[in-house]
Amino acid sequence: MNVLKVSRWTIAAFILPCLIVYVGLVFVPILVSLYSGLLDWNGIGQSTFIGLENYVKMFTRDAVFWPAVRRTFTLAGFSMLVQVPVALTVAILITRFVRRPNFLVSSYFLPVILSVAIIGQLWKTIYNPASMGGMINQILTSVGLESWTHSWLTEPKIAIYAIILVSLWQYLGYHILIQFTGIQNIPSEIYEAAKIDGADGFKADRYITLPMVLPILKISIVLSFIGSLQSFDLIMVMTGGGPAHATEVLASHMYNMSFLTMQYGYGSAIANVLIVMCLVATVLINLLFTRMEKRYS
Amino acid sequence: MTKRKMKIFGMAMTGVLALSLSACGGGGTTNNAAGGSGSDPAASGGDSASGEKVTITFQNIYPDASDPKNKMMKKIVDQYQKDNPNVTIELDSLNTDQQKLKLKTQAASKEVPDITVVNPAAQMQPFVDADLFAPLNDMVEENGLKDTFQSGILDYYTFDNNLYALPDGNNIGVVYYNKKLMQEGGVEVPTTFEEMVAAVKTLKEKGIQPMVIGEKDSWTGSFLFMNILLRTNGGPGFLQEVLDGKKTFEDPAYVEAITAFQQLVDAGAFQDGATSFDYNAGENLFKTGTAAMYFMGSWATGGIETAEVSKDGNVGVFQFPTVGGKGNPDEFMLAPGSAFAISKDSKHLEETKDFLNYFMLNFPKEAFDVKGAVGIAQNVDGDFKAAGYSEMAMNVLDLFKKVKGGDLAFDNTMNPATTQVHLSGTQSLFVEKKDPAAVAKELQAAYEENK
Amino acid sequence: MSQYASSAGSKPALKVRTRRFSIKSLIAFALFGLLLLTQLYPLVWLLIYSLKTNEEILSGSFFSLPAQWQWSNYQGAIEGGNYLRYLGNSLFVTVTTMAGVIFLSSLAAFAIARFRWKYGQIVMLLFLLGMMIPMQGTLLPLMIIFKNIHILNTHLALILPYMAFQMPIAVFILSGFLRSIPHEIEESAIMDGAGAFRIFRSVILPVSIPPMMTVCILTFINVWNEYILAATFISSEQLKTLPFGVYSFVSQYSVNYGAIGAFLVLAALPVIVVYFLLAEKITKGMVAGAVKG
Repeated sequence: MNVLKVSRWTIAAFILPCLIVYVGLVFVPILVSLYSGLLDWNGIGQSTFIGLENYVKMFTRDAVFWPAVRRTFTLAGFSMLVQVPVALTVAILITRFVRRPNFLVSSYFLPVILSVAIIGQLWKTIYNPASMGGMINQILTSVGLESWTHSWLTEPKIAIYAIILVSLWQYLGYHILIQFTGIQNIPSEIYEAAKIDGADGFKADRYITLPMVLPILKISIVLSFIGSLQSFDLIMVMTGGGPAHATEVLASHMYNMSFLTMQYGYGSAIANVLIVMCLVATVLINLLFTRMEKRYS
Repeated sequence: MTKRKMKIFGMAMTGVLALSLSACGGGGTTNNAAGGSGSDPAASGGDSASGEKVTITFQNIYPDASDPKNKMMKKIVDQYQKDNPNVTIELDSLNTDQQKLKLKTQAASKEVPDITVVNPAAQMQPFVDADLFAPLNDMVEENGLKDTFQSGILDYYTFDNNLYALPDGNNIGVVYYNKKLMQEGGVEVPTTFEEMVAAVKTLKEKGIQPMVIGEKDSWTGSFLFMNILLRTNGGPGFLQEVLDGKKTFEDPAYVEAITAFQQLVDAGAFQDGATSFDYNAGENLFKTGTAAMYFMGSWATGGIETAEVSKDGNVGVFQFPTVGGKGNPDEFMLAPGSAFAISKDSKHLEETKDFLNYFMLNFPKEAFDVKGAVGIAQNVDGDFKAAGYSEMAMNVLDLFKKVKGGDLAFDNTMNPATTQVHLSGTQSLFVEKKDPAAVAKELQAAYEENK
Repeated sequence: MSQYASSAGSKPALKVRTRRFSIKSLIAFALFGLLLLTQLYPLVWLLIYSLKTNEEILSGSFFSLPAQWQWSNYQGAIEGGNYLRYLGNSLFVTVTTMAGVIFLSSLAAFAIARFRWKYGQIVMLLFLLGMMIPMQGTLLPLMIIFKNIHILNTHLALILPYMAFQMPIAVFILSGFLRSIPHEIEESAIMDGAGAFRIFRSVILPVSIPPMMTVCILTFINVWNEYILAATFISSEQLKTLPFGVYSFVSQYSVNYGAIGAFLVLAALPVIVVYFLLAEKITKGMVAGAVKG
């Protein structure tokens, strides 16, 4: 229980400056967006109130919407189930084997800092057809696996996975960094105590590191989930959502609708659905982890 | 200023600028032949007599300092500021995509900059409907500016007899070809679409990339498709007839165009992974001499003629041929360019009009000087050949003279939502075999939904 | 169990344990090396890219070197891209944003984590909600708000929303950290008769440096490359930030890729330098106290 008892005015003085900026510039726009989602509006001229029609259209008649939802969750799934566990493994290994880990961890983080424009260009040279000097296809051809070559970014069934791979690669370092610091903050006394009890090496990881790092793992998973749901710049750079919407995700669909095809009301409705999905997912992840934490403690 | 503005409304259409801005009335040396001696600073209608400090925001899409258009813009702006020391022109130079996004956001909150950039016809309709732009009917008469424009071009920017924007370009769709590669492949310049498909097959067999396209920006494929439609429809106006309710997208002309387009794709015309190439990457394939043919708007002329491939007059141009014996090659895809519009709520409306008038008067001559005068919207009197324009540029100019009408790009005729479905439908033809009738049906459904 | 003690004081125990070479460690180091290669290669690639001609870049071979090193790209980037002015503006906007985020968020985090009051959790939830909101969805409403408070085309129009969008994660990290500090630390201060503000300044602030560094870095990364808001709210040349420079090489029908590469190298340089300088602090501070949730 917190000990500091303070007057209402003090609380206000601490909370309000931050809250006002935040509510005014993040929250109010979202309320506006909730309302815009009920309009038939091109963003410029007259608007018509159409109730839930945008949502009806989205759920029943928009041929792009559901596939985009599926792809968005595929991306989020890969991110949570592949990227985060790999990051955790690497983080544990670094803590175990490396004595001066900062350079390594910082280097892994580098792709996060670089502009997406460059990341996209780089990976295009990797995915290009062999005739264009694409790395993967050239390697496949040179080892005699010509039948395995693909036009990675333009075959509708493959393209989205090619992009997911880039996304996993780019943010791997971000999650390594988070997990690594989490592990660093586990008090050494616990390991020493465990060592006396005969728990060492991977056994210690199983019984100490994992449970202790759960809260951080939760943050990592929430961040990766929200990040996946909102990511669209990489897709815009690499395929623009094409060919024929084959790599469209919710965030890019929303951007297209709001700003390119001038259906601002409809775009807002998509944005609102996106926010609700993030919310539900966060609550679910929280519940899951609370259970796991209870079981371990 | 407001009193003066009030007065203006009472005045006659012509001469408004000179009277309102200049107490000494020294402005207005008319200069029609801007190509000849257009840099005459007196072409500016106003002078500095009013003395009030004025800042005009000029949103534009010429951000790259190494681009001739950027240099040209800065030159004209500098000259104007010198002649009118009280006026500061603030350049807000953005790349095209960002400018579109910014203008839409600004328009939503009625914060349109003094001068901005819009696209013609259907694309600027929503802005006009929202009453954001000032009519330029009077301004374009000043200093004979109107007569510098090619006849008919201003119609694309005119709504209910009010002109709202002045274009910087006017282009047509042409096919560039690499003479050396065509020769190596043993093919002639095709005069029909069928010959074109045959040429593609021959080139492909000989290991030469027949055509290239940057189809990630899906308008590129649409632009080519629309030219085929212009032929299969036997002439221009298909989309207008759809809008008028006389035809649907399931009309044989449209389905036939899809079939023809598919033939081209199936023949292996385009490079592998075409849908992941953006406009520049696609064009670069032609510029580096790896492809035999390239269909594009004539705006590409400047970039191609300075590229490696154009050495020794190696690049030629031809008109898009007939399809199935239909259509007239002298009808082209028409691409009236992006255009400058003035905000209705500009705080310095008169000064802004005066500046834009000056800018457009000087535009052709300056463009001519930086060899950027192929495909501008105004008449140029200079001798292109003597000025060192390439033979290919001259060929493109010759094609311009042949133009007997044509069609606008899809997005300049249809609403954005329908356009989006058309673009992705066309893009899908590059990656999978589709039933032309089904593609047409899907588009018709989208059109009806978004009417 | 004291998280505070562990994060600020004692050495992590794990790494001291193993120093022998084994198959396991060999495999691990092979993995580290491979990762290092894939994660650092983009930087090398960008450097080479920035020295190529447009044609070489677009021809897109993965390993190729430029035929001639195009140092002129850098000249073009600095002159044509207005590098120095934009750099100054970016620094100003970013540093101000960071300072604002740190100051306001730590005040709020302190109140949420340490005050005895009913609504702490609700306010926290409100902030959490902000993490779910896509920035581009707020573009239009923000434009209208800024128009009405007359701050369009000023740096404030960037600093305010940047701050607002960083606050949720900042409050989240900082309050998580503050919660992990034992209560004894301010109890003694209360005994001395210190008020809330003095406790904040002389007790809480000094120990919160590591998580603050984390917030700084996250803010820096998100703000430094931001372009959509900047391009929409800023029109004056004197006020523009670095991403404008990058996109100034993109014309309607041509792109000056080499100059973009050079400009990106110049723009990323400060980030990388700052990052590696602060790396020590970050690894300590990143989500430091949040272990306790």
